[in-house]
Amino acid sequence: MTRDLTVIMLSWEFPPRIIGGISPHVYYLSKSLAKNGMKVYVVTCDFPGAPQHEVVDGMEVFRMDSYKNPSPDFATWVYLMNVNMQKETAALVNDLGNKVDVFHAHDWLVATAGIGLKHTFRKPLLATMHSTEIGRRNGIHFDYEKMIHETEAWLTYEAWRVICCSDYMVSHVRWAFGLPGDKLSMVPNGVNTEVYEKAENENLGQFRSKFAMPEEKIVLFVGRLVYEKGAHVFVNAVPKVLGKANAKFIIVGNGYMKEQLSSLVRGMGLAHKVLFTGFVDDDTLRKLQKCADVCVVPSLFEPFGIVALEAMAAKSPVVVSDTGGLSEIVEHDVTGVKVYVNNPDSLAWGITKVLLDDAYANLIRKNAYKKVQEKYNWSKIAQQTKGIYEAVLGEYSKSFWA
Amino acid sequence: MTIMNAIIFSWEYPPRIVGQLANHVRELAAQLVRNSVGIYVVTYHDYLTEQYNETDGVKTYRVVNPVRTHIGVLTWVLTLNQEVERAAANIYYSVNKHVDVIDVYDWHFIPAAVTLKKALNIPFIYSVESLEEHRSHGANSPFNMAIKSIEWLGMYEAARLIVKSEWMRDETYRVYKVPMEKMQVIPSKSANWTKRILETYKDVTEGANPK
Repeated sequence: MTRDLTVIMLSWEFPPRIIGGISPHVYYLSKSLAKNGMKVYVVTCDFPGAPQHEVVDGMEVFRMDSYKNPSPDFATWVYLMNVNMQKETAALVNDLGNKVDVFHAHDWLVATAGIGLKHTFRKPLLATMHSTEIGRRNGIHFDYEKMIHETEAWLTYEAWRVICCSDYMVSHVRWAFGLPGDKLSMVPNGVNTEVYEKAENENLGQFRSKFAMPEEKIVLFVGRLVYEKGAHVFVNAVPKVLGKANAKFIIVGNGYMKEQLSSLVRGMGLAHKVLFTGFVDDDTLRKLQKCADVCVVPSLFEPFGIVALEAMAAKSPVVVSDTGGLSEIVEHDVTGVKVYVNNPDSLAWGITKVLLDDAYANLIRKNAYKKVQEKYNWSKIAQQTKGIYEAVLGEYSKSFWA
Repeated sequence: MTIMNAIIFSWEYPPRIVGQLANHVRELAAQLVRNSVGIYVVTYHDYLTEQYNETDGVKTYRVVNPVRTHIGVLTWVLTLNQEVERAAANIYYSVNKHVDVIDVYDWHFIPAAVTLKKALNIPFIYSVESLEEHRSHGANSPFNMAIKSIEWLGMYEAARLIVKSEWMRDETYRVYKVPMEKMQVIPSKSANWTKRILETYKDVTEGANPK
C-alpha cells in the first residue's frame, strides 16, 4: 500500500467530553493505532473549550456541532446529531480525496452516520458494540427501547464486522441480534499501565496516612453506588473480615445507594472503619489503587469490568465476583480471587485470604500485572484491531465495491 | 440520449397519495423524461407498492425503514433518510457517477440530500411545498424547532429554492431570511412550468449564479 491505512472513528464522546467508557476507549485505541502506523481521524461531538480541530497524539480530531437546538427527547437528539456528524464527515472524506479505508462506529449513538457514510462512499463499516439496550434495560419493554434495539440491530447488520470487548459480550450480542458467529470479533478493552508506572517511585506514605492508620490494611471499592455494582455486598462483608484482620474499607464513588450504605455502616458501629470518599480525581484514584492491599469488585452484573483491570495495572491484588466480563479477566488463584456473586461470606473469605497471606497476595499481584501487560495492552489491542481492518479490506478488495 | 440525470426525493408518490404532491411530482417526472432528462424518483414504500418500477420512463425506487418501531415522526423520518441516501448512492454508482442534480420536495429528505452534496458533490434544489411555520401555526415546541432546523439546513445548503407562489417566496424570506435571488417562483400548472423547472436544473448543474 502506498499510503497509510486510514480509519475514521465515529464516537459521540471523546476527551475532554467524557460521559462513559467509550470516550477513553476511543482515545487510547486511536492513539495506539496512530502509533502502529495508521492514519486516524476522529469525528465527535463538540465540547465547551475544546477546539473544533486539533492534532493530538498523532490523530486528527474534528469536533462538530452536536446539535444544540432543542429536541423532543434523547433519541431524536441522537438522530439529529448524526445528521451533522454525517455531513461533516462527508465533507472531510471529500477533502481527503476519498483516501479513507474504513469507517469505525462506536455504539448505536453514531449508527445512522456510519451507515450513511458506508453507502455514499462505498467503504466498509465496522462497529464496536460497547453495550446493548436489551442488556442495559434487562429486556425490551417500551417502544422507545425497541426503537434503539432495532437501530442497534441495523448497525450490526450493516457492519462488515462487529467488535465486542469480552467473550461474554460476543455471545450476548450474537444472541441479541442473531448474528452469524464469523461476523463477530473479540478485542479486549485495555488499560493504560503507564499512568501507574509514573506513580511507581513516588513516596505514598504521607498520602496513605490520610486514609488509614499504619497498622490498617486498605481494602478498596471503586464504582458507582448502584445496586448492580454490589457495594452492599461489600459493606456486609466488612464485619466478617474485621474478625480476622485489621483493615480500613474505602468506598470511592457516588450513587443513589450512598445514604443507605452509610446508615448500614453506622448501624454496624463501624463508621470508623469504613470511609466514603465520594468522587475523587484521577490522580487520587490512581494513588489509592496503588496503596490498596486489595481491590474488590463485587458486581452483580458486569459487561466488562474495567475497574478490575485498573487495579491489576496498579499492582493491587483483586477479589472479584464470578460474573460477566470479570469471569474472563480473572483466573482464580492465578491472577486474582473469584468469589460467589451476591454472597458476603464468600467475599469476606476472598478478602481475608489476600490480607492474611502475603506470599499469595504477591503471587496473584505479579501474575495479574503480567496478564494486563500481555493481554490488555493498548498497543496489542491496536494491532489486533488493525488486523481486523486488514482482513475486512482483503474481503472488500474482492467485492464489486472495490 | 439524455441531457442530464436528476434524482427526485419525495415522501409521497403514486400510488401512495397523501396530498397533492404525489401527482405533481409524477407529472413533472414524466414531462422531464420527455425532455430527455434521466429521471429517478426515490420515495417511501409501503405494502401496496413495488420496490422498483419504471412507468413513462420514470425509474422509481421505494425504500423501507429498517427500524420498524418509532416514538414519533421525527425518528421515523431521520432513520428513513439513510435508506433514501443509500438508494440515491446506488443510483449514482450505477450511472457512472453522472447524477447532475437532486430535487428535494419538502423537509423530509433534506438530511440525505445534504450528505450527498458534501460527499459526492451533487447540488440539490429544495422545492418548498409548505413551511413548518404555517403547518404548526407558529408553535415552538422542541418538535417544531427540530423540523424548522432541518428546513433551515436545507435552505442554507440548497443551490436553489423553487417555491410555488410569490407569497411563499416572501414568507420563506421572512422566516428564514433566504436571499430573494436564490428563490425561483414557479406556480404549479402555470405556462411552461416543467420547462422552467428544467431551466432551473440546468442553471444549478452549470453552476450558474441565481438570476
